[in-house]
Amino acid sequence: MSAAATSRVHVQYDSLERQHDTARLGMWVFLGSESLLFAGLFALYAAYRFAYPVEFHAASAHANLVIGTINTYILLTSSLTMALAIHATRRGRRRETVAFLAATIAFGLGFDVLKIVEYAGHLAEGLAPGDYYAFTALPAHGVVLYVTLYYLLTGLHALHVTGGVCVLVWLALRAQRGDFTPQSHIALELGGLYWHLVDLVWIFLWPLLYLIR
Amino acid sequence: MSLHPPPEHEHAEHTPGAAGYLLVWLALVVLATVTLFASRAVTGGWGLMVAFAIASAKAALVVAFFMHLAGGRPIHRIAFSVAMAFLVLLVIGVLADVGTRSVASSYVDEAGLPVE
Repeated sequence: MSAAATSRVHVQYDSLERQHDTARLGMWVFLGSESLLFAGLFALYAAYRFAYPVEFHAASAHANLVIGTINTYILLTSSLTMALAIHATRRGRRRETVAFLAATIAFGLGFDVLKIVEYAGHLAEGLAPGDYYAFTALPAHGVVLYVTLYYLLTGLHALHVTGGVCVLVWLALRAQRGDFTPQSHIALELGGLYWHLVDLVWIFLWPLLYLIR
Repeated sequence: MSLHPPPEHEHAEHTPGAAGYLLVWLALVVLATVTLFASRAVTGGWGLMVAFAIASAKAALVVAFFMHLAGGRPIHRIAFSVAMAFLVLLVIGVLADVGTRSVASSYVDEAGLPVE
């Protein structure tokens, strides 16, 4: 789509502003349903943690706190660069927009790489989900539920990070091409909202999986 | 002819600006660091409460300022708040269930294994 196509007011709207507001509303509803997708797993975590408090405590001591914490700061900072990318577009600064989007993409990829290193370390130790659990330091009872939830929650989140990076690459290419104007850049805004949701989910995952004592 | 009054172009005006975004990021980094140290200092049930309270504050900052919900249109706040309300209901419902099962614990021995 070209800039002309995205800034055209569709027939059912009386202004571009209203058209964009409708798109934002759709995005917020989508983000709400995304939150509920994760909420189901959070509720499962709460239930199993109540059932196996000692086991969850012991298991979380084997989470990689260093990588988990670095990734927390990475995602928080990527949210800043995302917000600044949109801010640059509002000021009509194309090169700045592309630079901030590139930084956000780099942070996202960095997060994924660290996550892979973390998974590889766990799998080498035998900390694998479900029937594949082979960790000798802790009996599987209860602990395996933490480990399986750890993979489910962080895996689903990492998929969102990866999907977000793909969206950001597309947005960066469009920004480079000059598709976004200070008045019309709704795709960039919606992509930004999605990226912030990825940050939001991690804000809760980090204490629940890495910091419980 | 328009059936509704024209929108007030709120989005362009009510953004925090570059300095505001930096301030929010700084607050997020400080809160994350506080979470890290608090998790070592405060243990047990209170530790989880503290961690969860700080996480909620961080989430509120991201939603309000990075995602512009604070300066956005009310309908966007309503849509997201409804989802959050159901999310809280779901978690409270589950916690109320598992947290009040005093009977269930008598079905497991000290090793946590089920007793017939």
